[in-house]
Amino acid sequence: MIDRRTFGLALGASLGAAALAGCARGGGAARWRLGFSQVTTTEPWRVLFNRRMREAAAAHPDLQLTIADGQDRTEKQVADVEAFVRQRVDLILVSPKESAGLTGAVEAATAAGIPVIVLDRGVDTQAYRQFIGSDNTKIGRMAGAYAVDLLGGKGKAKGRIVEIWGGMASTPAQERHKGFGEAVDAEPGLVRVVDRQDADWKQDKAYNIMASALKAQPRIDLVYAHNDPMAYGAYLAAKDAGRQGEMRFIGIDGIPSEGGRWVKDGALTATFVYETPGAAAIEQALRILKGETVPKRIELGTEVVDAHTVDAFLAKRA
Amino acid sequence: MTVRDGRLLSLMLATKLYWGMLLVLAAGAMLSPVDASGGNIFLSPPNLTDVLRQVSITGIVAVGMTFVILSGGIDLSVGSVMGLGCTLAAMLLTLEGWHHGTVLGTGAASIIVGGAVYAGASKLLAGRVDGMARRGCAGLLAALAAAGAPVLFGPSLAGGLGVVHTMILVLSAGLLIGALNGAVVTGGGLQPFIATLATMVAVLGASRLTAGADQSVYPVYSGSNAAPAFEILRASVLGVPVPGLVFLGVTAAAWVALTRFRFGREVYAIGGNEQAARLAGVPVGRVKIVVYALSGMLAALAGILYAAQYRQGKPDAGAGLELDAIAAVVIGGASLTGGKGSVLGTLAGVFIFGMLTNIFQLCNIDSNAQLVLKGAIIVAAVALQQGRIPGLRAAGGTK
Repeated sequence: MIDRRTFGLALGASLGAAALAGCARGGGAARWRLGFSQVTTTEPWRVLFNRRMREAAAAHPDLQLTIADGQDRTEKQVADVEAFVRQRVDLILVSPKESAGLTGAVEAATAAGIPVIVLDRGVDTQAYRQFIGSDNTKIGRMAGAYAVDLLGGKGKAKGRIVEIWGGMASTPAQERHKGFGEAVDAEPGLVRVVDRQDADWKQDKAYNIMASALKAQPRIDLVYAHNDPMAYGAYLAAKDAGRQGEMRFIGIDGIPSEGGRWVKDGALTATFVYETPGAAAIEQALRILKGETVPKRIELGTEVVDAHTVDAFLAKRA
Repeated sequence: MTVRDGRLLSLMLATKLYWGMLLVLAAGAMLSPVDASGGNIFLSPPNLTDVLRQVSITGIVAVGMTFVILSGGIDLSVGSVMGLGCTLAAMLLTLEGWHHGTVLGTGAASIIVGGAVYAGASKLLAGRVDGMARRGCAGLLAALAAAGAPVLFGPSLAGGLGVVHTMILVLSAGLLIGALNGAVVTGGGLQPFIATLATMVAVLGASRLTAGADQSVYPVYSGSNAAPAFEILRASVLGVPVPGLVFLGVTAAAWVALTRFRFGREVYAIGGNEQAARLAGVPVGRVKIVVYALSGMLAALAGILYAAQYRQGKPDAGAGLELDAIAAVVIGGASLTGGKGSVLGTLAGVFIFGMLTNIFQLCNIDSNAQLVLKGAIIVAAVALQQGRIPGLRAAGGTK
């Protein structure tokens, strides 16, 4: 009989060997190696981001793309970028978890002579080749203007609004809050009855915040959430309380399988697309690798997805 | 201080946990906004039953955690197991045929059926045949049963699984992971903190693998494959939400198990002094395995309710849940070194947190301020638990 320890050792060794074999794969005939340091791979928006980038890279046999998962930790992400520098990849893409934490790693990569493209969230230095991202404040402002229209139009809008935060300490949430406020606070008839509640971007937490808001507020006209899953969570809470007909729900992100689908189903009135920089990043990376000059900053557009546009949107993004 | 005062004080100290709960209730009543007709919103039955619903998931996990902590252990894997539970439930309900989820759930059910048959057969055969023959017979029967289980529990070809079917498979997975925790702690001699930390990480990875790399969330729409019967799990019975009823039922069952059965006394005995319990003939290993298995199964149950309530299953749904559950148990008066505490205390601990969150939400208090206040309340509640209030100690009736 094999004793337990031997079995464990054998199991460990075979797993290790399998992992090594996995590492050794790839590294074929590609001309350029790209390293992409992603914050996390467990959020739908990040999953879509990675998929768009992989699809774009797969279209170019010259490129070999490696994606490192930062597991939502700054120190892991810094280590990932440093590993790419040691491997002497031809170009580094990084979508920072936080600006300050990744600044040093981006500077070090640039100092080592490797071009860096920063995606989605900026860093506190100019030592990078290009930034590609969206303007959250602008998207928030669009959502605010849309809300004003829904509730009666400029100067005449009236209503009680619940705003559900993504993360009070997170820059995208602060900007989505700020932009929305600029449009909504100009209207004397609009009042935000709930606006200090943080659901951490999560559908389940938004559900519970909304369940309490429904108890405290006899009338709610509009729910604005900093992403679609939270808007949908709020919708579900209202639906379970039989009050979903009383109000409208708007969110941000516009992922086809989430926001797109919920607008199609009539749960959300509108969502605003927060474009993933996945495809654009590959396009720009190729230009840099071919020696072309690229703009320092590229801003991605947004679009509104509502009952009028959802079919065309879903057909285009499927 | 007179004797009379001392007695009053010790009575107050003995029931202090419920005083804490009443204090929060009173604060809620005072701070609550009022509705148009002047009624108190916090105290209104729809709101209080919603508090019960909001705490039910953490509460069910905390009940399992109470068993573990009473036995002197800790279970850090509950958040991951809850995440696995809701992911599995969502997959089983909505996907068709065989997939990673059905393989995992059916595999767990097979192992449990096999184990149960083995134990049962050994007991039956004892005295008739012995030694290798007995083990062989029992093993053969167990293998047959385990092999037959997929026929019984595996998916039919069309549509997602039914509710009962899904629950059996998900609970099996939770039970098995919990039992493994227990086996590693007792058989491997690992400290519970380390053993369940390893499980926490491994199960999170396993549920992500089960869900698939490109699928971080499985939606459970009522319009999708999911059986409409699943909605029962988020319905209300006489105004009380079903998850809340499940939580109260689980609490009641746990209270009975801990106070009216030998098993309960053994859990306390092990937590109090494991060596003494062993010498007194308590089957320490077996009891511990049951304790961790219960914790795993309750975490999986919480996962099923999560999927029903929030219409989604995702591997990281339970991130941080273990800490909420531990906090509730500790606020409920349990000692992390084991042997001291009660499931009713846990109930109070869960409600203190739930009511506070609700008050904060009703009053639209800043989320960051909520975190600070909650931290302060944990410290205050535990200090009160331990009678560490200057001047009270001398008169207090605490041990």
